[in-house]
Amino acid sequence: MAKTGKQAAAAAKSKQQPVISTAMLPMAAITEVKGRDGTYLQRNDVMFTAMKHAQGEFSEFFFALRDEAKVFGHRCPQCRHLIIPPFMKRCPACNFVEMKKEYVKDVGVMVATPVITVFAPSRFKGQEPFGTGRVFLQTEDGKLSDTAMLVRVRTTRGTIRPGIYKKGTPVKIAFADAREGQMLDLFAVPQEELTAKQLAKSPLLESEIEWGLLADIEFGRPTPQLQKILKQVKFHLQKLAAMIPRSPRATANLANWQRTVNVRTGGGTFSFVVHEGKLRVRDEVAKDPDLIVGVKDPSVLLAWLQDSTEALGGGFQSPALTDLVIEGTLVLNKPELETITRLDRVPRSLRRDQVVMRP
Amino acid sequence: MNNKVRDVAIVGAGMTPCRSRWVEKTFWELAQMAVSEAVHDTGIHIQEVEAGVAGIYNDIFEFQAIPESGFQGIVGLQNKPLMRVSNGGATGAYAMLAAYNMVASGQYDLMLVLGVEKALDCYDFEAESNTPAVVQTIGYSWDPWFERPLGAHASESYAEVIQAYMDEYPGDLAPMARAKIVELLCEQAQNNPYAQRLGEKVTAEQVLHSRYVVYPVRSLETCVYTEGACALIFASAEMARKIKERNGREPIWLTGVGAANEPYFVGNDITRYKVLHRIYSDHVATKKALSMAGITINDVQVIELHDAFIPQLMITLAEMGVVPLGKANDLVEEGIIMSGGKLLVNPSGGLVFGGHFVGGSNMMSTWSAMREMRARNLEHGLIHGTGASLSMYGVVIVLERRA
Repeated sequence: MAKTGKQAAAAAKSKQQPVISTAMLPMAAITEVKGRDGTYLQRNDVMFTAMKHAQGEFSEFFFALRDEAKVFGHRCPQCRHLIIPPFMKRCPACNFVEMKKEYVKDVGVMVATPVITVFAPSRFKGQEPFGTGRVFLQTEDGKLSDTAMLVRVRTTRGTIRPGIYKKGTPVKIAFADAREGQMLDLFAVPQEELTAKQLAKSPLLESEIEWGLLADIEFGRPTPQLQKILKQVKFHLQKLAAMIPRSPRATANLANWQRTVNVRTGGGTFSFVVHEGKLRVRDEVAKDPDLIVGVKDPSVLLAWLQDSTEALGGGFQSPALTDLVIEGTLVLNKPELETITRLDRVPRSLRRDQVVMRP
Repeated sequence: MNNKVRDVAIVGAGMTPCRSRWVEKTFWELAQMAVSEAVHDTGIHIQEVEAGVAGIYNDIFEFQAIPESGFQGIVGLQNKPLMRVSNGGATGAYAMLAAYNMVASGQYDLMLVLGVEKALDCYDFEAESNTPAVVQTIGYSWDPWFERPLGAHASESYAEVIQAYMDEYPGDLAPMARAKIVELLCEQAQNNPYAQRLGEKVTAEQVLHSRYVVYPVRSLETCVYTEGACALIFASAEMARKIKERNGREPIWLTGVGAANEPYFVGNDITRYKVLHRIYSDHVATKKALSMAGITINDVQVIELHDAFIPQLMITLAEMGVVPLGKANDLVEEGIIMSGGKLLVNPSGGLVFGGHFVGGSNMMSTWSAMREMRARNLEHGLIHGTGASLSMYGVVIVLERRA
C-alpha cells in the first residue's frame, strides 16, 4: 500500500545518505605537478559551505508535492496568465498585481524533445541515463499553462532514449511513492505508454506503473544470418573475456562490480557475468538478471567487439557502447549505465597494456 | 534609446596563450600578463589608465570570492575604480559594454577592460577527473529550487535550445553541416598564435564519429574549458587621437552596442518568457547594435561569435540574420561562411578551438576581429557573447575600422 507523503518521508529518512559522497572529499595534501617549464605545487582544498537552504515562499508548492501529490501554479487575475511552477507571487506584466494559487491537472504536453544526460554531475551518478524536459500542464479550464516546468521524463520501455518524447508528446505526471517535497517527487511518462485506468488515476504513483518493458523492441524470429552474427558476437566476447586477465587496467575497469546481464538480440539471447574483475559469457539467460540489454541487430555489438579485440590501423571505428545507448540502438531495461561505461573502457585498457597490440 | 554620447575606440590589446590548465600561473599573474601586454601594445603607462572593468565569470573557478580585489594593485589600478562584471558566458562582452558606457558618457577617457578565468583547478576526487567538477560548478547557475535538483548541468543548457530548434525546423543543423564548420574552425585556429588547440587537425569525419556529450551534440562540436586572460584598452576619441600619435596605429571604433537577457522560465509568449527554440537575446542584441551603428548584417565582414556548441553557433548566425531561421545549413551548403565565402566567422578558431576562458572569451574574440580587420582591410566587424542556463544572455558589439 502506498504511503502518504509524511509516512513515506519518515521511511525515506531512515535511508539517509550524505548530500555529497564522502569519496569526493580530498585528503589534505600539497603535491607536485609538472608544468611546461618545471615542477609546481598544487594543494588539495575545497570551497565548501553546507546549507540549510530555505525554500521560502516555494515551501507551499513543495508541501503540495509531498503531502497532496498535486501541482499548483499562480494565475494573474488581470492578464490570466498561469505560471508553473509558481516562481513569483506578482505579475510584472500587470505592474505586480498579486497572483492567485490555482491547481493544475496532471496531464500536459512536452515543449520540445527533452535532453538525455549520460555524463551526469557527481551528485547524480548512478541515475544515468536520465531525461529532463519541460511540460505545459493543463489547467482546469482546459487550456495549457503559460509557462513550462522542468521535470524528469521517464519511459516504461527501458532507458530513456531519443524518439520516446518530442515536441507535443502528451504526458501524464506521476509521483514517487516516497516524497520529500522537491522536484524529484514527480516525473512525466508518455500517455501512450499507460492504460486507461492509469491515465484516469490521480495521483498516479510510481509503484502503480510497470517499468523496464523491452517488449516494444520487435526482435522478430531469429534469422539464420542474425543467428550467425550472434554466434560471432559470443565468440568475440569470449575472446575479450580471455584478454582481460592479462591487462591490469582492464581488470581494474571491471573491479568492484558484479552484474549478471542478459542480452536480447534479433539473433537470439545470451548472458554474461561481470565478477571480481572478470567477464564470463554464458549461452543461457539468467532467471533474475541485474540488467537486460536489448539490441535488434547484433552486428553493432560485433563491430564493437572486433574493434576491441583486434589491432586497428585506423583507430576505433565503431561507436562506443555508451553512444549506442544514447542513440537508442542499445536499450537497457533500467537506467544503469555503469556496466556499459566500464565495458567501454576495456578496449583502451587492452591497448595501453599491450594485450591488443597496435599494428 | 540609442543616444551615442561620445565615440569610443579600442587602442590596444594583450592576450595570454589559452591553455586548458595553467599550473604555472595563478589568475593574478594571468591578469597582470595580459594587462602588461595591452599597455605595451598601446604605447602607454598603466598610470594613465583612469578606471577598469574586470570580467570574471565564476568565483569558484578562481577559488576566491570578490576575485578582482586581489589583483587591483597588481594590474596598476590602486585607488582607481575597478568594477567586476559577471554575466555567465557573456561576461566578457558585458564587461566591454560597461566600459564602453563609462567612456561614452564622458566619465573616463582611458580604461582597462580585462577578462580572466581559471577553470581546471576544479577536481572531482571521486571520479578522478576535472571535467565533472567543472560541469558541476557551471551547474550552480541553475536555480536551487526547481531545476538544479533535477540534475541540470552545463551541457544541457544549450542542448535544450538546440533540441527545441531542431523540433521547430526539422532537418536544419544537419550533422554534416556542423561537422564541416568544426573542420573550418580548426583550420582557422592554426593562424591564432594564442589558440588552445594549435597543431590539431580535425576532419568532418572525425566529428561525426566523436562521442556524444549530450545527444545530439558530439564532443568535437563543443567548446573547450580554458584558462587565460585578455586585456583591451578603451579610449575616448580625443585620447585615441593622442595615442595614435604615439603608436602610429589607427584605432578600431565601437560603433554599435546591444544587449538583451531573456527571462529564466520557458513559455510561449516571447515578450514575457524564454521561447525555447529561439536565442531571442541574440536577435534583439544584434538588431540594437546594428541600428546604433547604422549598418545591416550584410555590411559586416567578420564575425567573432561565442560558439559554446556548433549547433548554437548556427542558430546564433540565423538569429543575427545571416541566414533565415530554419536555413542554418545554408551557412555551409551555400558556402556563406566557408573558405572564400562572403562572411568570415571565428577566424580565431572560436571558443571551440581558440579557447574559452569565460570572463575574457569575448575579449579574445575582439582581439581577433581587430586583427583580421587590419590584416584584411575590412571595414565592419561584429563580436558576440551569449550565456546563462538557457543561453538567455546576448551582447553584440559592432566594430569599425576607418581608413
